[in-house]
Amino acid sequence: MVNAIKGLLISCDIPMAQFIINYNASLPPSQKFILHVLDNTHIFVQPSMGEMIRSKIAEFRDQNTYEKPA
Amino acid sequence: MAGGDEERGRSSKKLKTRFSSSKATQEEYFDDYGNDFDNDTRDGEREIKAREFTNLELKPDHANRPIWACPDGRIFLETFSPFYKQAYDFLIAIAEPVTRPELIHEYNLTPHSLYAAVSAGLETETIISILSKLSKIKLSSEIIDFIHGSTANYGKVKLVLKNNRYFVKSQFPEVLKRLLKDEVISKAQINFEVENVKQRCLPNALNYPMLEEYNVHNDIVNPDLNIALKPEAERRPYQIKSLSKMFSNGRARSGIIVLPCGAGKSLVGVSAACSIKKSCLCLATNAVSVDQWAFQFTLWSTIQKENISRFTSDNKENFRGSAGVVVTTYNMIAFGGKRSEDSEKIIEEIRNREWGLLLMDEVHVVPAHMFRKVISITKSHCKLGLTATLVREDERITDLNFLIGPKLYEANWLDLVKEGFIANVQCAEVWCPMTKEFFAEYLKKENSKKKQALYVMNPNKFRACEFLIRFHEQQRGDKIIVFADNLFALTTYAMKLRKPMIYGATSHNERSRILEAFKSNPDVNTIFLSKVGDNSIDIPEANVIIQISSHAGSRRQEAQRLGRILRAKGKLQDRMAGGKEEYNAFFYSLVSTDTQEMYYSTKRQQFLVDQGYSFKVITSLPPPDSGADLSYHSLDEQIELLSKVLNAGDDMVGLEQLQEDSDDITLIKSKRSAGSMSAFSGANGMVYMEYTTGKNKQGHGSKSKPKDPSKRHTLFKKRFAP
Repeated sequence: MVNAIKGLLISCDIPMAQFIINYNASLPPSQKFILHVLDNTHIFVQPSMGEMIRSKIAEFRDQNTYEKPA
Repeated sequence: MAGGDEERGRSSKKLKTRFSSSKATQEEYFDDYGNDFDNDTRDGEREIKAREFTNLELKPDHANRPIWACPDGRIFLETFSPFYKQAYDFLIAIAEPVTRPELIHEYNLTPHSLYAAVSAGLETETIISILSKLSKIKLSSEIIDFIHGSTANYGKVKLVLKNNRYFVKSQFPEVLKRLLKDEVISKAQINFEVENVKQRCLPNALNYPMLEEYNVHNDIVNPDLNIALKPEAERRPYQIKSLSKMFSNGRARSGIIVLPCGAGKSLVGVSAACSIKKSCLCLATNAVSVDQWAFQFTLWSTIQKENISRFTSDNKENFRGSAGVVVTTYNMIAFGGKRSEDSEKIIEEIRNREWGLLLMDEVHVVPAHMFRKVISITKSHCKLGLTATLVREDERITDLNFLIGPKLYEANWLDLVKEGFIANVQCAEVWCPMTKEFFAEYLKKENSKKKQALYVMNPNKFRACEFLIRFHEQQRGDKIIVFADNLFALTTYAMKLRKPMIYGATSHNERSRILEAFKSNPDVNTIFLSKVGDNSIDIPEANVIIQISSHAGSRRQEAQRLGRILRAKGKLQDRMAGGKEEYNAFFYSLVSTDTQEMYYSTKRQQFLVDQGYSFKVITSLPPPDSGADLSYHSLDEQIELLSKVLNAGDDMVGLEQLQEDSDDITLIKSKRSAGSMSAFSGANGMVYMEYTTGKNKQGHGSKSKPKDPSKRHTLFKKRFAP
C-alpha cells in the first residue's frame, strides 16, 4: 500500500526557500510545518500553512523596502 | 515586488489627472515622477482631496506663463516653457526646491526662503508682482499675505562688526527696545554670544531676521590684500550668477552657495576672496583638501607665496605681511584640548584678527556642535559657505540659516549637465541575489551583528563587481573607483582582485603614491577607497564608481560619491545628446536583494532622484554563462568565504572609524582600544612564541647583568663579596 500525505507544494527562489526553512526552525516543535525539503527551490509543507507563510514573507519584504514619507 | 509597485503606481496616475488644463503636461509630469521607487499612493487618495485645485481660475493667456503658484505655498515650474530660464532664476531666489526632475520642478515658499530673497535685495512688492506675472493662476490672498507677513520685518535690524565687536543696529528705536526686552538677547549682551542673538531673531522666534552686510569699500580699518583673479580664470555663467547674488551695491552678503561637485566651487571661493580683497580664512575638512585649496588659490589668483599659508598638524606656517590667506581645517580651529606652543600662537593670531572673508568648504558639516565653535571663535565680516549637498540626516541644516546666512544660490544639476559643464551620469542599481548559504546565515538570530558583513560579502555581489571592473577596464578603458565603508569587505575585495586600496590608516605618502599612479599609470585603473574617499579628495580622472557597501542610509554620502565622477570629460560635442559619449560616467550601486541593504539603498537614492537623476535596475549581472571566469564560482570557495566572515571578530566587520585631523600633541598620547579577556588567554587563535633576535644569537650583544663588581648598583654591592 502506498502511504500518502496531503500537503502544499511551495515553489520559490533560493533566498525565500531559506527564509521559509529558517522560519520553520524558529517555531516550537509542535508547530513546525515543513514536511520535506525537495531541493533548493521547492518545499513540501502542511496544507494549512499557505496564508501564514505568505504573510510572513510579505512582512519580511516590507521591512526591507523604503517608502518615501509623503 | 517591483511588479506590484508598478501596478499601484499606474492607478494613482489616473486619479491624479484631475488637475485642470492640458492633459499632456500632466502625463509627462507623472511619467517622470513615477520611474523610481517612491510611492505615496496609499495616502495619495486622502491627499488628493486636500490638494484639489481644480476650481482655481486660469488666466486667459495661461499657456504663455510657466508656473503654477498654489495657495499652499507650493510652486510648480514647467521646464519646457520659453520663459523657463528667467522663471528658474527668480524661483531659486525666493523659494526652496523640493524636487527638480526633467520636465516639472516643484518649489516651496517658506519664511526662510523669503528671508534669503529679501537679503538678496528683492522687495516684497517686486516679489509679488513678478510671481503674479509668471503664474498661470491668479495669486490667492493667502499667498500674498504670507509673503507680506514673512518679509515685513526684514532689513529693520542689522548686525555690524566694528573694531572687533558686534553691534546691533536699527533705524527703528521701537524695534531695538523690543529686542532688548527679550531675555535671551539681554543675556547675550553680557556674554558676547552673537549666535544666540541671531537665532532669536529668526522668523520662528522674534521674527526680526538680521541682515549681515559687509561694506567692503568703506572698510579702512582692515588692511587690504593684494589679490586678484588671473585673466585666464574663465568663469562659467552659473559661477558669475552665484557671485552676483553675493556681491552687489559694493556690499558683500554672507550666505551659502550650493553647486554640484565638479562644477567649480573652488573658483567661486577664490573669486569671492579676490572681490573682497581683505584677509581670508579658508576652512576645509581635512589635510588633503587644505593642500588642494592652497593650490587652487595659487592657480586662479595672483596671490604671492608669502601671503598664503596652510595651518594643519603637519604645517604650522603663518603668512608674512599685514594681510593674507590662511587655509586650515575645522578641527584645527575648533579643537578644545591642549595645543602645542606653535599652534597656540597661530590660533591666538587667528582669534584676534578681523577677517574679511570666512570661506567654508563642505558647509554641511558645520552644524555639528564642534564646528559651530569655529564661527564663534573667529570674527569675520563676511561668511561664504560652499557645498554640493545641503542635506543632512539629522535635521540640523536649518541651523545654517543663522550660523552663516541664507542660501544665496543653488544650481540645477540637470541644467549643468545639459550645458556640458558636468558629466552625464548613468546611475544603476545592480541587484545581486544572496546565495543560499549566506542567506541562511543572514536570517539566523545569532548573527545579527554580522548582518552587514554577510550582505556585503555575498559571493554574487563579488562576482558582479569583478565583472563590472573587467568590463569597464578592458572594453572601455575607464578609470574605476570602488567604494566600501566596511573595512573587512574593502580588504577582502582588494586583496582578492589585487588592486590598491586607501583607507584611514594608509599613510599620507602611500596615498599620494597610489593616487598619482591612478592618474598617470595606464596599468593602474582601479582603486578601492574607504570612507576617506568621500570628502574632497580630488580624483578628476575617474569615470566609474562602484559602491559595494555604504553607511546606512546617508543621502549626503551618496551625493558626495557622485561628486567624485562629476567632472566633465571628453569633448563637448560628444557629450551632447546623441553624441558618441552621451553617457560617459557611470555610478553602480551593488545591492544584495532581500536584505536590509535594499531599504538603505532606496533611502539614499532619494536625494539623487529629487535632483533629477534616474536609477536603472540591472538584475542580470554577471551573465549566467560566465561561470568559472569569475571568482567564487564553486561552492567550496563560497563556503570558505562564509566561514571567514563568520569567524572575523565583531570589531573587524563593523564600520571604519576615522581619526580626525587633530593637533599633533594629541596624536602623541596613547590610544585606548577595546579588547577582550579571551584574547589575552589565547582564545583568538594567537599563540605566544619566544624567539631571540639576531643580535644576541651571534653572541655579539653583552648580557644585561654586568659581572664587573665595580659596576654593580650600590644597593647590591654589599650583598656580594667585594
